Amino acid sequence: MLRAGSPPARRASAPVLGWLLPTVVTAAAVAAAVSVVSAGARTGVLWCGLACTAAVAEAARRGRALTALREQCARQEDELRARLARQEAETTELATVALPEAVARLQRGEFPEDVLKAFERREADGATEFRAAREAVLRTVLDAVDNEEGMRESAQRAFVNIARRVQAIVHRQAQDLRTMEDRHGNDPAVLDDLLLLDHGNALIGRLADSIAVLGGARPGRQWSRAVPLYSVLRGGISRILDYRRVELHPVSEVAVVGPAVEPLIHALAELLDNATRYSPPHTRVHLSAAEVQAGIAIEIEDGGLSLSEEGRARAERMLRDAQAGIDLNDLGETPRLGLAVVGRLAQAYGFQVSLRPSAYGGVRAVLIVPQQLITTAPATGRAHGIGAAAGLRPVPGVIPQPASEPRPYGRTTAGAFSAGPSFGSNAGILAESNRPDDEIPVVAERAPNGLPQRRRHARPSRPGPVEVSRVPEPAQAPVQPGMWLAAFHEGVNGHAPSTGAAGPTSEESAGKGEQ
Amino acid sequence: MSAGDQDWDEGIPERLYVITRGRSGLAEQATFDLVTLIVSRAEPAPTMQPEHAAILRICGAPLSVAEISAYLGLPTSAVTVLLADLLADGRIEARSPVPQAILPDRALLEAVIHGLQRL
Repeated sequence: MLRAGSPPARRASAPVLGWLLPTVVTAAAVAAAVSVVSAGARTGVLWCGLACTAAVAEAARRGRALTALREQCARQEDELRARLARQEAETTELATVALPEAVARLQRGEFPEDVLKAFERREADGATEFRAAREAVLRTVLDAVDNEEGMRESAQRAFVNIARRVQAIVHRQAQDLRTMEDRHGNDPAVLDDLLLLDHGNALIGRLADSIAVLGGARPGRQWSRAVPLYSVLRGGISRILDYRRVELHPVSEVAVVGPAVEPLIHALAELLDNATRYSPPHTRVHLSAAEVQAGIAIEIEDGGLSLSEEGRARAERMLRDAQAGIDLNDLGETPRLGLAVVGRLAQAYGFQVSLRPSAYGGVRAVLIVPQQLITTAPATGRAHGIGAAAGLRPVPGVIPQPASEPRPYGRTTAGAFSAGPSFGSNAGILAESNRPDDEIPVVAERAPNGLPQRRRHARPSRPGPVEVSRVPEPAQAPVQPGMWLAAFHEGVNGHAPSTGAAGPTSEESAGKGEQ
Repeated sequence: MSAGDQDWDEGIPERLYVITRGRSGLAEQATFDLVTLIVSRAEPAPTMQPEHAAILRICGAPLSVAEISAYLGLPTSAVTVLLADLLADGRIEARSPVPQAILPDRALLEAVIHGLQRL
């Protein structure tokens, strides 16, 4: 039997030839055999030959069909291979390019739908099923990432929100404490306790500020006016545990613009905290500020362990990381907030922070406040002690309005304490002693916030005449400063002193008031 | 975060304990009274703490502790601490007012006057 295989080059004629030739040959052989054999066997041979020819023809036909089938299979296989390769490539592309890009776009704040659409447009061809599956993968991943981002964001928002509430409480507490300090200023024992509370309160406030900053918000308080640099530095000192160890050197008379005050105070407090924490308890930490080309360089030097090159690199890396953006999850088990916070603030407000070995053997942290955050104009109405014109001027140790009237402890708990009468004498003294503000023009100018402020100028509002009539005063003529004090020392509250600007006072006047 | 909780702060950033370096005037209580008169003996120097400088500036004429406290807007005890610093440096002078007890009794004086007039 002839094999029906034929070379591929003659594939066109092969089918016909392939199954015709063996059949014809067999038929010829049968015809020859029929003619050769004897007449008796002829019929049998003929039948056999016919059957044989039919079998050959059928075999040839089947062989041909098989070949066609094989070719089709090969074609299909090639096609499938190509498709597989394409899908493999697409899957690889999905894993290495598309997904990272999509996630990155999502993290940049694009909506998942927008990202998906962009990717759909990009791949218009390909099998629908596979494309659908790919899209499903993309969608699932994007949804997961989006959820994750949302959760992290809401966690951060929750952090910030709580921090804000703590800040609000701390702030109010600080104000109340200041009022109490004024009210109980005469009693050193009470004041001592109040100062202790005040300090603890400030520490809590710093922690809340740190959390707010790390949560991506700004530190709590805002200042509408420029604040003298000296006050800002002392504000930083106020917020650390070991504030007594900080030695503040005289600084030039410049002011920090309002929006930068709180961040600067906070950054300084964190740096000072680091400095006091990592230096022996008996050493001092030096805080100074100098004008440089770029702005103001604030230096914090401690006498602690020197920073090894490795430690310095780590600290600076931390600062850098923080500047690149950090979230609360990255802080680890025992969070070291300090440098992270400083880095965050530096990035947001353009401070430059560097840590170097100090001449004292410890670390020297330099924070440069850029020029645009510095103003040379004196802070509004609040002349600073340094270089301020001589005269009776309030010093920055003043909270506006503190002693003007006895205020209850807290606005919300007004009824809880019997504030007024019981502290009347003390508050009265302070209220009284603040009165001369009206007589001193410089003080009257004081507008600590730059906002319109109620003043107690109005003379008619004073209960002067009544009081005078109640207590006979030897002289209505201008009284020396010591005079009216002596007067209320005798128990005269609410009396309006009509002192002139502090003139030369003699002991007689004081003595006169005393008798 | 609403805008509502971002309150403007109009106080001063530094707290009282930084101004007094943590002292509350317990030790200085004995030296100064509310009516102790303070007069400066030195010019304010630029290197001083601003509160010290301010005290020296306003105490050109004698002022009582209570008055200084009012002018500076600081509690009396805090002023006492600052005054003690200055006193230790010899930059101020503190004069106690004439105590009530040292003044002679009015009745006694009247008796003396009457006695003299009767002579």
